[in-house]
Amino acid sequence: MNVVIASYVFYLGISIALTVWVARTLHKNGRVFLVDVFHGNESLADSVNHLLVVGFYLINLGYVSLALKLGYDVKNAQEGIEALSSKVGMVLVVLGGMHFFNLYIFSRMRRRASLIDAPPPVVPDGYTSVRGHSHA
Amino acid sequence: MRELTVLYDPQCGLCRRAQAWLMSKPKYLEVVFVPASSDEARSRYPQLNHALTLNDLTVISDQGAVYQGPKAWLMCLWALREYREWALRLSSPELLPTAKRVISTISQNRYQLEGLGSVVLRGAR
Repeated sequence: MNVVIASYVFYLGISIALTVWVARTLHKNGRVFLVDVFHGNESLADSVNHLLVVGFYLINLGYVSLALKLGYDVKNAQEGIEALSSKVGMVLVVLGGMHFFNLYIFSRMRRRASLIDAPPPVVPDGYTSVRGHSHA
Repeated sequence: MRELTVLYDPQCGLCRRAQAWLMSKPKYLEVVFVPASSDEARSRYPQLNHALTLNDLTVISDQGAVYQGPKAWLMCLWALREYREWALRLSSPELLPTAKRVISTISQNRYQLEGLGSVVLRGAR
């Protein structure tokens, strides 16, 4: 097995392990947010959580496999490790970006859901009696 | 709070256009429009000072809470699904004085603004 093949194997192993780790973290800790967003509807929260994680896997593993090809020759172990490091570094940055994007989506959903219960923004100038109200 | 009644000035074109725009938007709660100082408004709210409602936009909740002028405008925004966030933002202590000033200016010049308002609201629709 030459250096390039070895670096590919390590690259895939590390990248896939990292993706699985981040996805599991997201899945485990995102659930609490989603249950809150959907007002305690746990089955809907679990469903959305699962769909988000599937999308997360697809994008990350897609990026990992697209970025596999090295494109230049590696002659020794030092160059192999350097190439591996830059590839894994890119995967980490993409994972980090995706992770924050997911957090943004969670917080946005939560904020929007909390608007339904938001109280009136201003205090009334006074009160009057209401007569002939059609909406009892 | 489940319903808001908006007492608007039917004489002013800007208000009628604003009313049409409000009606077309998705809302969190029921919004009913009643011409200000009309017989219907007087029979619904026998104790209200109806002369004031002709000067300033008035919004009344189903519990009888009265909001006038800039507050009424903010309550209208608050009722809309797409603009509740804006209503809360504009009524923060930092922005409320500016919002009140802008809204009062528009309100006081509503008859002069009619032409301009129709252009703006047609674009927004």
